[in-house]
Amino acid sequence: MNKTEQPILKTSPAAGVAGATATGIESGNRALLKYLAGMALAFLPFVLLVEDAHWLNIIAFTYLMGGLAAAWNIIGGFGGQFSLGHGVFFGIGAYLAARLYVAYDLSPWITIIPCALFAALVAVLISWPTFRLRGPFFAIATLAFNEVAFVIANHFESVTGGPRGIMIPFKAGFANMIFRERWQYAVLMFVFLALVIGITVVLRRSRLGYYLLAVREDEDAARASGINVLSVKLQGMALSAGLTAVGGTLFAMYLRFIDPPTIFNLQEVGVKFALLSLIGGVGTVAGPLLGAALIIPFENFLRAELANALPGMNLAILGLLMVLAALFMKRGVVGAWRDLMLRLRPKKGGEK
Amino acid sequence: MSIDLLAVSGASKHFLGLRAVDDVSLRVRKGEIVSIIGPNGAGKTTFFNLLTGQLAPTSGEVRLRGELINKLAPHNRARLGMGRTFQIAKPLIALNALENVMIGAFMRHRALSTARDKAMAVLEKVGLAHQARVRAGDLTLSERRRLEVARALALEPEIVLLDEVMAGLNQSEVGQAIELLQGLHAEGLTFLIIEHNLKVVRAFSDRVVVLDRGRLIAEGTADQILNSPEVVKAYLGDGHQAVELGAL
Repeated sequence: MNKTEQPILKTSPAAGVAGATATGIESGNRALLKYLAGMALAFLPFVLLVEDAHWLNIIAFTYLMGGLAAAWNIIGGFGGQFSLGHGVFFGIGAYLAARLYVAYDLSPWITIIPCALFAALVAVLISWPTFRLRGPFFAIATLAFNEVAFVIANHFESVTGGPRGIMIPFKAGFANMIFRERWQYAVLMFVFLALVIGITVVLRRSRLGYYLLAVREDEDAARASGINVLSVKLQGMALSAGLTAVGGTLFAMYLRFIDPPTIFNLQEVGVKFALLSLIGGVGTVAGPLLGAALIIPFENFLRAELANALPGMNLAILGLLMVLAALFMKRGVVGAWRDLMLRLRPKKGGEK
Repeated sequence: MSIDLLAVSGASKHFLGLRAVDDVSLRVRKGEIVSIIGPNGAGKTTFFNLLTGQLAPTSGEVRLRGELINKLAPHNRARLGMGRTFQIAKPLIALNALENVMIGAFMRHRALSTARDKAMAVLEKVGLAHQARVRAGDLTLSERRRLEVARALALEPEIVLLDEVMAGLNQSEVGQAIELLQGLHAEGLTFLIIEHNLKVVRAFSDRVVVLDRGRLIAEGTADQILNSPEVVKAYLGDGHQAVELGAL
């Protein structure tokens, strides 16, 4: 595979110099190496803090949210379709797997993929009409879907348990995806994170990935380049929704209790996926994970330190930080890092 | 008998009461370069949009290689061999030049490595290879125009529709652009172009058609058209000598 890449690098002398200035195309090996290094780094806190029950919870949740944000980023970041309704797919994964387990004793390991496929199907059905809307209008429509899902979950008690929710009895065992130890959950969430980021790495180097970027940048130019815009958006949404549902199933088995206010909570679910991606760097591979790694532990810290002393203060500080990030780091942590690297580079050249 | 590559017959586009394009027929044979000229608001871009599928004609037929494409979506016309550029260049600014061209190349080459090879070859052809890794947003106007042409070429089209691809370029850039297009034409590519610069039209067209207020008012060689009193009148109004356009 690599042999075909070499002539290109030779014919373009600027590649080495300017590679970092743009969204360069790196070789497959280098992308794999970066991925493995990133995952090793992400796994490090787990190794260091495995004895600490409090931190282990935060780490497991950070892995889960990082994976979910990365799943959102596929259509929200790469595809530029700013969905605030991913709570719907998260809910499908959580509710469906929980109900199938509680009522029919079906292991989540068996149902997790069918649940994801069902969420992808629902995503295609509700996105088909809404993808005609552009920009903020699309975001508002998806917001409405989240609220509709909330009402449906509250209403259809036979499936969802209504306002009382679904309680998953504690029967520890690998087959049930219910674990006695916190570290086992943390490993499970890490596998999910590594899976979603891995898919993103592959996607970023695939035709669909490039087509999503083209659709985000300019739909008319994309069409003129032979891209079926609606089909590309639907494929991106289906993939994103399916992975989000997988995260939903894991969340349900982790918490072992789900109800509508938890699952369809905009602040903590639908909007949070987008927010973590924005803070980390929307439309980048590493952004959503970085966003989760910064925000989730920090949130927990603020809640623990401030919520009792000054009710609401933790949320105020978090809100302020997000405003600052929106003002001064428009392209997130990854964007700020790239800008910094760019500023350092010319200096080196100038000294020569 | 060879089929026309592009054949438009009786195409009209009405916006409410306005006849933006009114019963226009046009044939483009393989290997030809046909220019569309006309004053501002003559319906040139609307006519273009009927050909590329941005708009559907109110009546009339558009055929590509004999196949009726009236209702075909723009991306399917691209598949059939139609490339285009936009009046206002639409570079995908977050991607670098190479990736921009890859977006086009992916249509016929699914794998990343072959699409990249193809895109790099096209960039070399249009003289942008040295800028391959530069963000499209950081390119100059003239480079952006080249990039548009490159993205269209990467589709491996039979006909390319250029919408004022020279606008805003300086003398020497226009010269380079003409050279590039002539090279592509020599390789057998067919062009249909909208162009305001009459020097370009004269240097580069086999045939010129004139649109005025939605209607096709004249058709002929560049010399015939640019010396025709009717065309001069459409451009400059009454009382001008044909010499004024012909002298260009």
